Amino acid sequence: MGLGEAGEATEKKIPTFCSLCGPTMGCGLICHVKDGRLVRIEGMKEAPRNKGKLCPKAFASMQWVYSPQRLKYPLKRVGEKGEGQFERITWNEALDIIAAKLTELKQKWGPESLAILSPQRRSYSDYLYRFLIAHGSPNYGHSGICAMQRAFGFAYTLGTPWTNPDYERARLIVIWGANPVYSGAPWGNLKRILDARDRGVKLVVIKPQMQADAAKADLWVPIRPGADGALALAMLNVIIGEHLYDTDFVSRWCYGFDKLVDHIERYTPEWAEPVTGLPASQIREVTRLYGTIKPACILAGNAFDQTVASSNAVRAVAILMAITGNFNRPGGNTVRPESTMPKVKSVHLRERYTQEWIDKLVGPEMARGFQPWIEGTSSAYYRCLDSVLTEKPYPIRAIIAPGTQPTVITRGTKRVVEALKKLDFFVVVDVMETSSMPWADVVVPVATMYECDHPFEAMDNWIMARNKVIEPLGDYKSDYEFWLELGVKMGYGEDFWNGSIERCMNYQLENFGMTMEELRAHPTGIFYKPKPMAYENYAQVFATPSTRLSGAPYLPQGKVAIYNTTFEENGFNPLPEWVEPPESPTGTPELLAKYPLCFFDTHTSDVYNHGWCRNIPTLREIQPYPWIHSHPETARVRGIEDGDWVIVESPHGWIKVKALCTPGIPPDVVMGLHGWWQGCDELALPGYPILDGGANTNILYSTHPERAFDPVVTAMPKQTLVEVRKA
Amino acid sequence: MAKQLGFYIDVSRCIQCRTCEVACKVTRHVEPGIKWRKVVETCAGEFPHITRSFFSKSCMHCAQPACVAACPTGAIRKRTEDGIVVVDREKCNGCRECLSACPFDVPKFGADGTMQKCDFCIESGEVPACVAPCPAEALHYGTMEDGPPLTTNKLAVKLGGPTSPSVIILRHPPVIGDDFSASMPLPDDTGVHSR
Repeated sequence: MGLGEAGEATEKKIPTFCSLCGPTMGCGLICHVKDGRLVRIEGMKEAPRNKGKLCPKAFASMQWVYSPQRLKYPLKRVGEKGEGQFERITWNEALDIIAAKLTELKQKWGPESLAILSPQRRSYSDYLYRFLIAHGSPNYGHSGICAMQRAFGFAYTLGTPWTNPDYERARLIVIWGANPVYSGAPWGNLKRILDARDRGVKLVVIKPQMQADAAKADLWVPIRPGADGALALAMLNVIIGEHLYDTDFVSRWCYGFDKLVDHIERYTPEWAEPVTGLPASQIREVTRLYGTIKPACILAGNAFDQTVASSNAVRAVAILMAITGNFNRPGGNTVRPESTMPKVKSVHLRERYTQEWIDKLVGPEMARGFQPWIEGTSSAYYRCLDSVLTEKPYPIRAIIAPGTQPTVITRGTKRVVEALKKLDFFVVVDVMETSSMPWADVVVPVATMYECDHPFEAMDNWIMARNKVIEPLGDYKSDYEFWLELGVKMGYGEDFWNGSIERCMNYQLENFGMTMEELRAHPTGIFYKPKPMAYENYAQVFATPSTRLSGAPYLPQGKVAIYNTTFEENGFNPLPEWVEPPESPTGTPELLAKYPLCFFDTHTSDVYNHGWCRNIPTLREIQPYPWIHSHPETARVRGIEDGDWVIVESPHGWIKVKALCTPGIPPDVVMGLHGWWQGCDELALPGYPILDGGANTNILYSTHPERAFDPVVTAMPKQTLVEVRKA
Repeated sequence: MAKQLGFYIDVSRCIQCRTCEVACKVTRHVEPGIKWRKVVETCAGEFPHITRSFFSKSCMHCAQPACVAACPTGAIRKRTEDGIVVVDREKCNGCRECLSACPFDVPKFGADGTMQKCDFCIESGEVPACVAPCPAEALHYGTMEDGPPLTTNKLAVKLGGPTSPSVIILRHPPVIGDDFSASMPLPDDTGVHSR
């Protein structure tokens, strides 16, 4: 049976993409549709990203699309904020209300009074930028805790934001604060790591809990949450002290190595032992493995984005890659070559950026001197909300939250709720009822990936049109149509193809010399040849222009910025240093008597992704209740048995979850999962409050203006101290 | 009988992502509370010296299936053409004798009270729904007689026991002096023999 053709049993196979996680392009899917209903999903073998592989979330999307908890039509708030009383309105009414209010606030307070909060990077992210730029606001509220932080530290040290591990050629692989099982399992990293392991390649996994990837490791390094920067500094100390660095590379391609030699002396393994919870001997062991087994690559993960030491920690890891001779060499961390595929014309309007634009940011995610960053200008998600309360430097008056929930996704939920109450105008755009909805003035229901025939998606060497799988199950339009139509209502029609999604798609495809319909004639897309890897092209990589308006290179000396003069000029430490989390055993020992355990959380699990998916029955029955993982002894001394409900209390709030015991976690550490709030109607399993007594880990963390932010890249930490007791 | 179909499970690659588990449920529209396939875990040791191993478990389509022998209504049968053990839910009276007989706790009983379990997706005529999407390439299928293609650094063992399960496990051989791989537990080491 051919793709898109009707089969014997009136079953059609329709190629499309999954969108259950980010960033950008999802996995290729073949959807089977019978009598207008999606009945089966398969991985698309032709899709270069997933090659027929999938994950539990992709399969469960079949239940997600039919969830009784989906929004059905546009809503307008009728009760008080927070009550959750709404009445049905039409799409036209919704757009009219939003356009009238945004116009009013723009006239009264200026266009920068609008912020749009960013979801996980999506193929519609640039439409949010386009709307903001057409409107006149720089305030794209990016999380401040995901990917961009790592990319930043690497770019300003190595000249490239992305340091791709070359698993095929490595002899040692280090997974560090990442989880290739929970994040993007079908994308190939996991398979390549397992293939390497089958070839006898050594695997080191650095993370606080022995998750399944760590179970495959030759060496598991059970680091204390948030202490990755301290470990990286101590590793630099050992590499330099034991002369395990590549002298030729350092002298030819590194700037400021001498200054690092002096600076790093204080960060001995003995210094790091109480900070990281790792024996000094293990720090030496892991360093010697990385320093002597060549080539070696590091997969650095989300742990580096969610610590106040972020910009320091990433720079330290980047310097490790460089001075050990593992940067951009076969088997190390490499720079991916560009594609032979034509460039998609972006819908972003970054050509309109000016310095004045950057000056207007309400709370920059990356320090002002480094704006705009890769995605564009950005204020930190939390800072947009916080400005509503502090009114400094000015208050955000209106927020649109597409596919994102400020009440569970950012830190400081108590302040977030106060901000939502105080906002002049709040719009939620989503496919499902959300935890932030009760404070919304207007709720806009959008189509899932199965209910619309756009956009196309392009990645690496592949481009493919999305196909509609089923007819919309409610009064829906796509996210893309929403922004185009709102743009038109606001009077920005010229920038929004006067509302024509077809013209919008065709504009983006101009460099391909084809229209969306012509692209659609290729059911599994078009493939382009990858360019060959260019190893050791240092002169070129180290001259890469930065994203700043000046376009000045990331690396002013054309060398690895061990001593970082760009940081120095912007008032930051030119050499990486250790910064303690707001609460930690070594940073705030005075808290240990009351809060003796380190707490942190993970943002995805095998079945959940941030604040959603709990309503999907097949996933929810795997993890029915919110949890912490605790060492059995930690539970026993507190009279807690495996599976008991417990109260986890930090200096900032408390949650009630189940204690699940596992020996694969240090006895002084407990780990939770962020994003719990949603119930599952189909299994009659409850949702949980977002404030004290619920299961929302974000209320446990500090939002201290000085101590809970990396001054360069935001990176709000997910580490605190807690006590656990039986509920 | 023709060759016996079964699963090959590479425990050195299974990474508990649960794709097989969810793919099975969603593709076969299995009701809540019931799993035809489940990733089970063995965890041993004391912090920080822990071993965890994972095994994707479903019906083993045994060569001598105890469930078939135990079924009083003849609802369970072993197909001669491929050795797959199937249940005719019309004939099942819900007595659960099969559950008592099965050494692997495979038979499941949902709202209608009749037995349900993995049938190798034989009706679809395609690869079992759990196999194709496995991102770790840990779950495979084939005949017990042919076995999986062997690589020099993997050991293949057919699960043993009185029912002779149609499952071959692949694992790294223990390395002398390497506590980690030597202590790697198998879900059921009893009766396991080298092929």
